[in-house]
Amino acid sequence: MCGWKSEPSGNVGRGRRPRLSERWSLLPSTRWIAQTFQTSVLRASRSTLAAFAFLTALLAGCSRQESSAPPPPPPQHILRISQRNEPADLDPATASLPDELFIIRALSEGLVTPAPDNGAPEPAAAESWEVSADGLTYTFHLRSNAQWSNGAPVTAADFVASYRRVLTPATAAPKAPLFFMVKNARAFATGQLNDFSAVGFWAPSPLTLVVTLERPMPQFLRYVASGPWIPVNPRIVTALGRHWTRPGNFVGNGAFTLEEWRPQQRIVVRKNPSYHAADHIHLDEIQFIAFDSGDTEERAFRSGQLDITMAIPFAKLETYWTERPDEAHRAPLAETRYLTFNTLRAPLNDIRVRRALSLALDRARLAEKVVRAGQEPAFRMVPPVLRGADDHDSHLLGGGEENIATARELLAAAGFPNGRGFPRLELSGWTIGPPVTEAIQEMWKKELGIDVKLLTREAKVHVAALRAGLYDIGFITAIPDVPDAINLLDDFTTGSPGNYPHWSDARYDELMAAAAQAPEAAEQAARLRDAEARLLEQCPVAPLYFNTTNWLMRANVQGWHQDAFWTRFYHDVYLDE
Amino acid sequence: MLRFIARRLLETIPVLLIIITATFFMIRFVPGGPFTAEKAVTPEILRNLEAHYGLNKPLYRQYLDYLGSLLHGDLGPSFKYPNRTVNEIIGDKLPVSLELGFISLAVALVLGLTLGVLAAIKRNTWIDYVCSSAAMIGICVPTFVLGPLLVLTFAIHFGWVNASGWYTPIDRVLPCLTLGCVYAAYVARLTRGGMLEVLNQDYIRTARAKGASETRVIFRHALRGGLLPVVSFLGPAIAGILTGSFVIETIFQIPGLGREFVNSAFNRDYTLVLGTVILYATLIIGLNLVVDVVQVWLNPKLKFE
Repeated sequence: MCGWKSEPSGNVGRGRRPRLSERWSLLPSTRWIAQTFQTSVLRASRSTLAAFAFLTALLAGCSRQESSAPPPPPPQHILRISQRNEPADLDPATASLPDELFIIRALSEGLVTPAPDNGAPEPAAAESWEVSADGLTYTFHLRSNAQWSNGAPVTAADFVASYRRVLTPATAAPKAPLFFMVKNARAFATGQLNDFSAVGFWAPSPLTLVVTLERPMPQFLRYVASGPWIPVNPRIVTALGRHWTRPGNFVGNGAFTLEEWRPQQRIVVRKNPSYHAADHIHLDEIQFIAFDSGDTEERAFRSGQLDITMAIPFAKLETYWTERPDEAHRAPLAETRYLTFNTLRAPLNDIRVRRALSLALDRARLAEKVVRAGQEPAFRMVPPVLRGADDHDSHLLGGGEENIATARELLAAAGFPNGRGFPRLELSGWTIGPPVTEAIQEMWKKELGIDVKLLTREAKVHVAALRAGLYDIGFITAIPDVPDAINLLDDFTTGSPGNYPHWSDARYDELMAAAAQAPEAAEQAARLRDAEARLLEQCPVAPLYFNTTNWLMRANVQGWHQDAFWTRFYHDVYLDE
Repeated sequence: MLRFIARRLLETIPVLLIIITATFFMIRFVPGGPFTAEKAVTPEILRNLEAHYGLNKPLYRQYLDYLGSLLHGDLGPSFKYPNRTVNEIIGDKLPVSLELGFISLAVALVLGLTLGVLAAIKRNTWIDYVCSSAAMIGICVPTFVLGPLLVLTFAIHFGWVNASGWYTPIDRVLPCLTLGCVYAAYVARLTRGGMLEVLNQDYIRTARAKGASETRVIFRHALRGGLLPVVSFLGPAIAGILTGSFVIETIFQIPGLGREFVNSAFNRDYTLVLGTVILYATLIIGLNLVVDVVQVWLNPKLKFE
């Protein structure tokens, strides 16, 4: 599975309207308003004109403080990216959303970094590493020229202190479990162990970091490349407390430094000249501009205020793909949208009913005609990018016409021939653009003769209902924290907090445990495939489609990469003049 | 008058307390918490998070703690934004909402009063019809239609202004115009109605009979009485314009408090929800008091009691 690469476009020289200067002086703006007004409402009465003059004066008065500070000279290569969720913080220890990591990864880097092609992680703060023969000990060698943005050298002790901070219960790091393969890390994070020296992090020299694991873990480096493993400067954090992530305070070891953070407006980062790979950074500045609404974002793109959007409004997808194909872009995501069946409730506790419901879904039509953004129909739970290297099966779950007949048979065997007597179940979802649940309702009605009730809930209410088991059938999404199929499939083991079907299967639990124990990648992939097959056979969930991301990008942005896990890569990005 | 104001202010204390208590418990009983996400947090981590934010204490204890810190003017830390307090967030966002609100209000008053007075004094002429139709259209067209229309025309087609943002003076034009126009429409209709009623009164005829100029009649005598309906409307309108600008703030990506208020409810940012509710409640109570005082001042028939 390859990552998406930005295609060079022939339509580079499309004229762009000059951007409005942010230092618009008071006088021209006033004059402009008056001129616009005079031309547009020339015949308006004198009193209205007077009224407008008053408004203009008021406008000028209110904005005086904005234009007083002389800003520094404008840099040359500024990339303006939409930021759809305001980051809660820029602290790698507490970050839990990809949106936060978009910015954190520009400011700091971990030992290793994800690869743009979704492949094995690449060197970042560590230039090399060795793994012991038993797969339990990883020795990372840090770069000798790596610096914090305040000039201090980046040392192995900084990494140990950062990891100690993530695992300290009082930090309340939501993603601390991404460290739990490290020896004694779980015990320390849950307060059972107070001595951090017993945790498997050790810095024998300033440039050497040794990590000892509980058991061999073939995908360990992918965890090291995840967001919470990005270090912080421990001295700055101790000295400044919760204020350390503010502009002027933030100290990182990444390609950019934090210049400005206006909440709900924009975050500006500027090139860090002392970054060890500064040669690969061609952008002088990145502006992450906040947008709450996709429509507002799209209008800002059209007016020339943005270079890259986060999405394309659902209603405008087709228009952009047909009329502006050089600006519309798409990449697959490691995200499975699926239906969860509440296995605690009748008749969904009957495997025949669950299978019938799953088999009756026309996934290809759902992907092609309903969600319509290049999604791939899902006949498996694990998205292609997370499958083993020699696992090329797109189907572990039947698909096609013949399944409708099987579905009807199963439903009849369960006591509901042609859907007769089937209770009116509730199919719940949260607000998304395309009418997915409506389409599913129609498919079941047509193929099985059963009628479900639709319910749309606010996202958190929906998730809380799924967790509490207060639902019949739920539409939900699975996004792994790290590029590892275990992280996704673990949710369906007995008692897992992400086990929305409230399903418990001893065989599945065994297969997952065996997969976790597998010391080597190919074997692990095979075990996981077995577990996934078991999951699909028992059908507590019905995968629907693998999601994609669609965005708008100006044709002059070159070298832009983002992987299937929402990681963006700012190295080697440049703007064509 | 002072006694009246003092009594009204005293009355606000129990009102606010009821609002705070109701909000505190209602938001806690909404399903889903600040840490609910599609990717579930493990129970041990959830315990750490709840201990960190004091959510592991009994609810009544949290309530009393909150009231205690409120007495010191401390609205608490934000659950969603750990590096900011609610006081900081409100301090950051309120000025933006006030600026948006007051400029829009100025637009509304200037446009609305002008149209309304014009329509009233040129009653049943083409001027009246134009002004009244404009007001009717303004009432009927919602902000989420007018805003994008203005953006399409002036930002995307002509390229004169930015489509969104709140950085430069010019960025204020479209949002303030959009929000102002809707209120201007109401003001215009109310002014026209009020003025028409007053212009038929005996004292206006008296003023004309005594030879007062038309300008003097309108601005000196008629307007004061004609504005009464507008003033009653302005109390809730100001509160609405300051608090209810969520739609405008979203359309134009303005970092105001309205958006923060709505998002805080979605994020289950308990303290931020409470902080904004308290602020809005205080604003609405205060503005209603101001309107009552102004009405007595404008209308000699009313008295403080």
